[in-house]
Amino acid sequence: MKEVAQWFDDQGWRPQAFQKECWKAYAQGLNGMLHAPTGSGKTLALWGGIVQEAFHVKKHPTGLQALWLTPLRALAVEIQQATQRITTDLIPELQVALRTGDTSQSERTKQKQKPSFGLVTTPESLHVILSTKDHQKQFKNLKVIIVDEWHELLGTKRGVQVELALAYLRSFLPVLKVWGISATLGNKDLAREILLGPLENYTIVKADINKKINVKSILPKKMESFPWRGHLGIQLLPHVLKLVKKNKTTLIFTNTRAQCEIWFHELLNAEPNLAGSMAMHHGSIDKKLRLWVEEALRKEQLKVVVCTSSLDLGVDFSPVENCVQIGSPKGVGRFIQRAGRSGHKPKAGSTIHFLPTHAMELIESVALQRGIESQQIEDRMPYLNSYDVLLQFLMTLAVGSGFQPKKLFPIIKQTFCFQTLNDEQWQWIINFLVKGSQSLEYYDEYKKVNVLEDGSLKVVNKGIAMRHRFSMGTIVSDAILKVRYQKGGYLGTVEEWFVAKLKPGDVFTFSGRNLELIRMHNMEVIVRKSKSKKGRIPAWMGGRMSFSAHLSDLLKNALFENQNQETPEFKSLRPVFYQQKKESIVPQPHQFLIERFETKEGFHTVFYPFEGYAIHEALASLMAYRISLLSPITFSMSFNDYGFELLSDQAFSKEYFLDNNLLTIEHLHEDLERSINVSEMARRRFRDIAVISGLVFQGFHNKPIKAKHLQSSSQLFYDVFKDYEPNNLLYQQALEETFDHGMERGRMIKVFENIQKQDIVWRDCSQPTPFSFPLITDRIRSKLSSESVEDRIKKMYLQLEKK
Amino acid sequence: MTIKRINIGENHFDLHPSGAIYWVEKETLMLADVHLGKVAHFRKNGIAVPREAEGSFYKKITLLFNKFEVNRILFLGDLFHSFQNNEWHLFSSWVKQQQNELILIEGNHDVIPASKFEQLGMTITSDFSEETFYFCHFPTKKEKYFVFCGHVHPGVKLKGAGLQQLKMPCFFQSQNQLILPAFGAFTGLHILSPKEDDRVYVTSGKEVMEIERN
Repeated sequence: MKEVAQWFDDQGWRPQAFQKECWKAYAQGLNGMLHAPTGSGKTLALWGGIVQEAFHVKKHPTGLQALWLTPLRALAVEIQQATQRITTDLIPELQVALRTGDTSQSERTKQKQKPSFGLVTTPESLHVILSTKDHQKQFKNLKVIIVDEWHELLGTKRGVQVELALAYLRSFLPVLKVWGISATLGNKDLAREILLGPLENYTIVKADINKKINVKSILPKKMESFPWRGHLGIQLLPHVLKLVKKNKTTLIFTNTRAQCEIWFHELLNAEPNLAGSMAMHHGSIDKKLRLWVEEALRKEQLKVVVCTSSLDLGVDFSPVENCVQIGSPKGVGRFIQRAGRSGHKPKAGSTIHFLPTHAMELIESVALQRGIESQQIEDRMPYLNSYDVLLQFLMTLAVGSGFQPKKLFPIIKQTFCFQTLNDEQWQWIINFLVKGSQSLEYYDEYKKVNVLEDGSLKVVNKGIAMRHRFSMGTIVSDAILKVRYQKGGYLGTVEEWFVAKLKPGDVFTFSGRNLELIRMHNMEVIVRKSKSKKGRIPAWMGGRMSFSAHLSDLLKNALFENQNQETPEFKSLRPVFYQQKKESIVPQPHQFLIERFETKEGFHTVFYPFEGYAIHEALASLMAYRISLLSPITFSMSFNDYGFELLSDQAFSKEYFLDNNLLTIEHLHEDLERSINVSEMARRRFRDIAVISGLVFQGFHNKPIKAKHLQSSSQLFYDVFKDYEPNNLLYQQALEETFDHGMERGRMIKVFENIQKQDIVWRDCSQPTPFSFPLITDRIRSKLSSESVEDRIKKMYLQLEKK
Repeated sequence: MTIKRINIGENHFDLHPSGAIYWVEKETLMLADVHLGKVAHFRKNGIAVPREAEGSFYKKITLLFNKFEVNRILFLGDLFHSFQNNEWHLFSSWVKQQQNELILIEGNHDVIPASKFEQLGMTITSDFSEETFYFCHFPTKKEKYFVFCGHVHPGVKLKGAGLQQLKMPCFFQSQNQLILPAFGAFTGLHILSPKEDDRVYVTSGKEVMEIERN
């Protein structure tokens, strides 16, 4: 370890214990998992070992030797710079390259012709390399793969992508070493098992860095004037401005891109002097602009940056002193991550200000503080049997060098995700690629993958290969349009459905500017600057985040145990609790509260299990289903982390509900399954699946290549599968995912066991209660009906065009 | 199946739940946007739509023949989704069995050469008029005529008490114009916002119902 340790010394640094431990383990040829938070020096903990090993090699073979996978592009730049620096200092002839979706074609060609020693890339870009014909040759000298921020990938379909790539690379590189870097997870053994798979000689290193995180809630002076619902929190803007003025640099985290745009706008309106020292950072803003913001932050040129999760990870912004979180961060892990952005020097404490957007979120603040004290990040649930990702991966191999199904099957089965995949399912997948169905009909002209003479599967058709290459990657969004000025100058991207609602001349706010739509042309939105003060704010799909199970437990405890304690949050909440108790109750742990009231919208029945969004979504659907069996009725449902609401145009009776024992644990599974089918909860899941598996072709957003007559929507596919091919594995996957990821099957039973022990308290209220308010005003809803479509239509009316 | 009969001038038209319109006086059936071969086209390009989704045209049209006395069929454009594929053979053998007059008004998707249809004995034209009625693919206004057209795949969003919403395909009638819903399966909807004087007849597949405004 001489040279690397010396290099640390030259920088005036002292290696930390976990760094030395990693170097040693790497030198011993072990695989491993490092648990360390962002900004702790984890990059050099692993790269140090790699450089040290390379230092003693006399003549380096050409070709890639070390591959670094990271989930975020912004992070990739950072890693590349850090690793290149130490490499250049110690072994000047070795290079570390960077390859992401932003890397130009010419740069990629250069990388292929003259491969560097190291490569920093994303899972998607790795798959792009696997889609080339000679990728086995490119990787033949590969010694190690490092998977950074594994906790961010685990529990997503990108994680499945990583699993597949690793299993595949191992199949022709038997001595390949694998290292993962992850935050401390609840299920860390599982996290290790999934990444390292069958590898046995591994070690686990834990960085012992206990960073102190202080959470301060921003409290309104008068709770009476604080809204019961909402998601913007703008009324607390003066408090934020005060914080901004007091500190050198402030990061303001928002949960959605739309919220980000609004806050940026409002801050600027309130304090025009901030123009020039203020910036915005979110995933739809042009890359150049984003990089500029990151650089300016580092150089201490900015006073405040409003951002989304795009700035969550990595990136060492030492000047940031102050972080503000607007609204619930929906998980302890994310909150710690964000708090970690400030005071970014090892061992320095961090402070994050939590700004609740409505009264109930104040309880969350207490819960979050508890979670941080116990330093525990919620578990990440891995995906199982993601046929969509598998199909995409097989296509990736088929457009490149092709594959032998018999040889590949055992490799796929090595992954955690596909460990239970059986012969029958594998055959289904292969048939889907080759025949497009499970039986062959003579006049069918299905074409996708061809079987060659040697039995290998390969894509021959150029159009099909091209479409696959363009649509690889598992991050799903609506068709994306570029926003640019008429005279040139690229601003970023918006989703098509938003622009579709605009007419030429309409003004919208984007990237902090008010822009007037001139026209849409070739997948581009042409705009000019507008002097208008008000513009519509684009929303981006996928903006809604779900609450983690872990946080919902903390929340329950916070509510039950702390409401009499003297925390500033609960003091502020007193008027809200007072109002709640006037109409209803604040439930105790042994009580299951149900409220009923009528408004002009219909009859609201609100349930409060306090079990988190995912469970409530399933429970709502289950309750609606059971009630709908008693008599024909149609429900519109909403859910949040505290409870759920069933809204109907007719009132089902309280006695009916209680006498029929609808909260029984009996037939739980059957009823859940049926309710998923009836309520079409799986429909939303299917959107991703259709895109990932290549059913829905999103078009080429930067290259207007013809894909005429192949446009369709995932909804249309969902309908035809449901009607004509319900045993289709992709359709089945949507149902399974709803079960596994949506409702956390195992937890559901526990929830019901708990409900059995509770007393049901049904309150008829004369008006909506504070607890119910966020629910009844939520406009993102599911529905479930046992009435015939015809009967429903006859009660409905047309919405006329607005004048 | 519940049909809705409407009168336009002296003439009677039956709006059928399948999306077809039957012109009673002329014993004429109108169909818009059948998009034959769409499923096959997707499959030919490596997108595995279930084949069964294609078959519904022949089933639905047989149903209509049982219901109405038909001596002429007017296709209001987009009969075929794309270039010729095997679906063409099914269609041509169906055409050969027909005694009726078959007229195709060309739509934007109809890229198969006119001569192919003519060889089957069909008439192919860009538009067609009879008495005070005008038939075409794209929605349009024509003075002194009432227009029947397709292209849009019209649907509407319905609202009801309890925050209920439904999107349904419909026959969309505005002043001197009626847009037919798409007859083909696997075709999708385009949601229209009705104005004060528009009339909307929603089809559930079983019943055609006129919808009230709020």
